[in-house]
Amino acid sequence: MASSGVQEHVIETKGLRKEFAGRGGTRVAVDDLDLAVARGGVHGFLGPNGSGKTTTIRMLLGLARPTAGTMRLFGEPVPERLPAVIDRVGAVVESPKFSPTFSARQNLQLLAGSVGVDRTTVDESLDRVGLGDRADDRYKSYSLGMKQRLAIAATLLKSPDLLILDEPTNGLDPAGIREIRELIRDLGETGVTVLLSSHILAEVQQVCTSATIIGNGRMLASGTVEELLGATSYRVRVSDPATAGAALEAAGMTVRLEAHGLDVSTDEPGEQINRVLADAGLYLSELTPVRADLETFFLELTADDRMGARPTADGAR
Amino acid sequence: MMRLVGVELNRLRWRRAILVLLVTALVIPMVMLLGYAWSTRPLSEGDIADAKQMAAQEGRQPYIVDEIARCESDPEQFGDPDMDAADCKAMITPTYENFLYRQTLELEALRTDVGAASITILSGLVMLIGTTFAGHDWNTGSMSNQLLFEPRRLRMWLSKALAVMAASAVAGAGVLALFWGGAALIASSRDITGPPGFWVDVIETQARGVLAIALSGLLGYALTMLFRSTVATLSLMFGVALAGSLIILAIFGETATRWLLPTNFLAFVLNGVEYYDPSACSSGGGFMDSQGCERHVSMLDGGVYLAVVLAVAVALSMWSMQRRDVP
Repeated sequence: MASSGVQEHVIETKGLRKEFAGRGGTRVAVDDLDLAVARGGVHGFLGPNGSGKTTTIRMLLGLARPTAGTMRLFGEPVPERLPAVIDRVGAVVESPKFSPTFSARQNLQLLAGSVGVDRTTVDESLDRVGLGDRADDRYKSYSLGMKQRLAIAATLLKSPDLLILDEPTNGLDPAGIREIRELIRDLGETGVTVLLSSHILAEVQQVCTSATIIGNGRMLASGTVEELLGATSYRVRVSDPATAGAALEAAGMTVRLEAHGLDVSTDEPGEQINRVLADAGLYLSELTPVRADLETFFLELTADDRMGARPTADGAR
Repeated sequence: MMRLVGVELNRLRWRRAILVLLVTALVIPMVMLLGYAWSTRPLSEGDIADAKQMAAQEGRQPYIVDEIARCESDPEQFGDPDMDAADCKAMITPTYENFLYRQTLELEALRTDVGAASITILSGLVMLIGTTFAGHDWNTGSMSNQLLFEPRRLRMWLSKALAVMAASAVAGAGVLALFWGGAALIASSRDITGPPGFWVDVIETQARGVLAIALSGLLGYALTMLFRSTVATLSLMFGVALAGSLIILAIFGETATRWLLPTNFLAFVLNGVEYYDPSACSSGGGFMDSQGCERHVSMLDGGVYLAVVLAVAVALSMWSMQRRDVP
């Protein structure tokens, strides 16, 4: 447990590296990755396809061996102490993977049996993801969305403290996506830490409280979503932009005069702009928040990755 | 651990392909037993009457009549100058026994032929069970899902192995008990008893058979956990079964029979086997003596051979499970 004043990290990696040997030489999938996910909330794990998100998750869960570096879950070194913490971790890695000829209930019963969870919990998990009515249908008859739900139901069998979800809304219809996002948000609010790996930026922006962005196996940025996006700016239109600009600057805001009016950057809420201008006897004809979106930020950060640059073991690109 | 084995037994039980293989494992030996029982069924009055009719028809054939005439005119040519017409007729005319080809049921032959074949077939089928059981986990990717619940890989490997071995042993013991129970009933109904100590031999053979069957299931499982592919294991199995012996014999000659898998398997199950080895044919008189061409592989030799093969496969399989990334 973390001592007071030190934020406890549920997930922590240091210098994590994974190389794959192939015909064309050694390929580096994850390169010196330092990842830290604090307890509670939903943490986004963003990156383009092939950026190393799934490899990182697979290493954390003991499915792949790191080439170098250390990893901790709940403060315990993994994979050495993974058996001690695995009961606190639920995970969906890549696509759902179940036996196609078994029913959903049979698939979950087998997983539940291996950790001593009773059948009632299986039924509760199935109900929670809306599969209670189809629990006895064969898995192979399920749509992709239903398979995703079943995978999430499997993660709930252990009542996890940490949920690692790798692209959980893949294949879901809009209603299903909303349902799963609400489920993730609810879990985050009830104290479960969720690591949500995704390439859907809107999803991360809507659901996550913090995020890590990786590209080419390297961490590019990490922090709260607000920190990543930076200060919010506002487009302000008034009858006297020069006077308004002076008043806002006097109130500690950064103001830029544009053709359409003023661009005002501030950490204060928008109503503060309204108040400052009203005190100066000026009245707004427009006050529009111009929030930098994660997509723009993400695309700027991962430009190299999307161009196909990929490090090799000797560091060449 | 027992909880995990229970889970794996459920996984086995719920697989339809495995149920089909188990039913096949029951049906084939029983069909073989019934086939042997039918081919050795006692002669009926009708069988004897049919044979007598065929013998009479054959006796009327011109070549038989001519042969009898030649014998009567020149008995010396037929080996005995003192034979009279009756002797010639008796010697040349077919009897009904000549038309009764049926074998009688021999319990010892049943043990070494049909019984051993049943154990071999059961071993092959449980190898398929072990293979499809492990292969399914890899083919569907559900192995990684299972490891998210039980990350101790060797523990997982062992629990699955124990489940395969237990299922194979129970299936093998059950089928062989039915086989020999049926054989005992058939023999009893025909007042046939085996040689002294025969049923002790049967029990010992079946005990080794059940062990061989359980270990065959383990071998199929271990190989598939190593290759992570049902197709790869099946290819290897068919390669060894169909081409392996031919290739080894073609390269090394019949002396290499000692090192063939079937030779050692049968040596273990049947408490030793003889095999033909031309290098052992030299005899005192300078003539080839076929009796002297046989060499013996003992049960212990066969067991050691099988144990080494199994140990290598198991060790590689466990190493692979522990060290390699799981897709």
